[in-house]
Amino acid sequence: MHTNGTNSELFENLRLELRRGCLAVAVLLQLRSELYGYAIRKALSEQGLAIDENTLYPLLRRLESQGLLVSQWREEDKRNKRFYRLSPVGEEVLASLLAEWRQMNSALERILAVPASLNMQEQTQ
Amino acid sequence: MTQADLIDRYLNAVKLWLPKKQQKDILAELAEDLHSQIEERESVLGHPLEEAELVDLLKRRGSPMRVASGYIPEVRLINPAMLPLYWMVLRIVLLWVLAPIFALVFIGPLFDSQAPGKVLAAFFATAFQSLFFVIGIVTAVFALLDRYHSKWVDRWDPRKLPHAPRSHQQMQWYNDFSGFAFGMAATVFWAMMMWHRSAFVLSSGFRIILTPIWGQIYWLVVALTLERALVDLYCFVRPSWTPARSWVRLAFDALKVVIALLLLRVTSWVDIGGTDLSPADVAKTVGWLNGMIQVTLICAAAIMLFDGLRQGRLLWRAKNGRSRPVLTVS
Repeated sequence: MHTNGTNSELFENLRLELRRGCLAVAVLLQLRSELYGYAIRKALSEQGLAIDENTLYPLLRRLESQGLLVSQWREEDKRNKRFYRLSPVGEEVLASLLAEWRQMNSALERILAVPASLNMQEQTQ
Repeated sequence: MTQADLIDRYLNAVKLWLPKKQQKDILAELAEDLHSQIEERESVLGHPLEEAELVDLLKRRGSPMRVASGYIPEVRLINPAMLPLYWMVLRIVLLWVLAPIFALVFIGPLFDSQAPGKVLAAFFATAFQSLFFVIGIVTAVFALLDRYHSKWVDRWDPRKLPHAPRSHQQMQWYNDFSGFAFGMAATVFWAMMMWHRSAFVLSSGFRIILTPIWGQIYWLVVALTLERALVDLYCFVRPSWTPARSWVRLAFDALKVVIALLLLRVTSWVDIGGTDLSPADVAKTVGWLNGMIQVTLICAAAIMLFDGLRQGRLLWRAKNGRSRPVLTVS
């Protein structure tokens, strides 16, 4: 039998797995317009998707090395900031990712709409 | 300590763990993010951050090593797909090769030695060295496989997979496993302990003298025990039965029976010396020892005959279509 501690640890691991892919999509979506790191974090947070800085910056670097983002250093408010935006490849990949996400989401919604008892009956038939 | 001092210390500690080529770029971005965070916090509080507040902010950000770890690409030593094979090889090597060899090499001297503490110390020292060496070698081999031949895991064909085990093979794996372990132990014993040996001398000077027959069959026994151990290992790794397998076992069993019969042709296998027993007691002890060896040889021959019969039965059943698959997809 699982203790509460184990359950919360299990939940946390699954939550992280679930978030990992979603965060990449959210960052790509946010960078349809040019932003620097701290501003991306604030923008995502304001829309209800808080992201840790230790997750965001390595993610930005990875997406850039994969060719999905482009970046440049520019001075703003007397400070040098690195601005990111979606690359043409990133735009294509984002469109495919969104289509995939919509398909998964609607599949999950359909599964959720079927009562569990009905599911059992179908399986036994 | 000033705000700048604390930030410099923090960034310098992060720098230590970052990949060299990206250090400057990553640190500039981290510094900018920290300053943005500090600015925002100060505007909320309405005053410049005090030392304790900045320490708290940095602590919430995470330890320098943790922050840097996010930028380091994940490196794996072994392909996850090969992990089951890696564990299996490691288990076989450690439990069924290394452990029996150590038992064989150290148990005798442990009971025989005047200073068992020294034998134990030598055992632990050698065991640790061997353990690390064996684990290191196995891991290195798998790491090299992953680096240069990672695709072989995906090169497979369902038609080339081993046959599904049949009913009589369900218990067979244990026999194969133990056969391999005992075969290796017997090989090591023969190769090391019987090489050019004419007698076993105990610390008290007591000698068990071997008659020449043991020297005459030395190489035959080494070859047979080693070959049988390797066949058992092969059977364990690929558990599906084939007629060729039973024929090979049958041949080995026959050879072993021949060796036992060769040994049984002589009446004296050992003698004793270096003892102050009376000649009558020596004769009685030698008679008892030879009697034990005779019984052991007869038993060994009987076991080999029994195994030979079992293999013969398997071949007969296969020929007459009596074996039945256990795994059936309905």
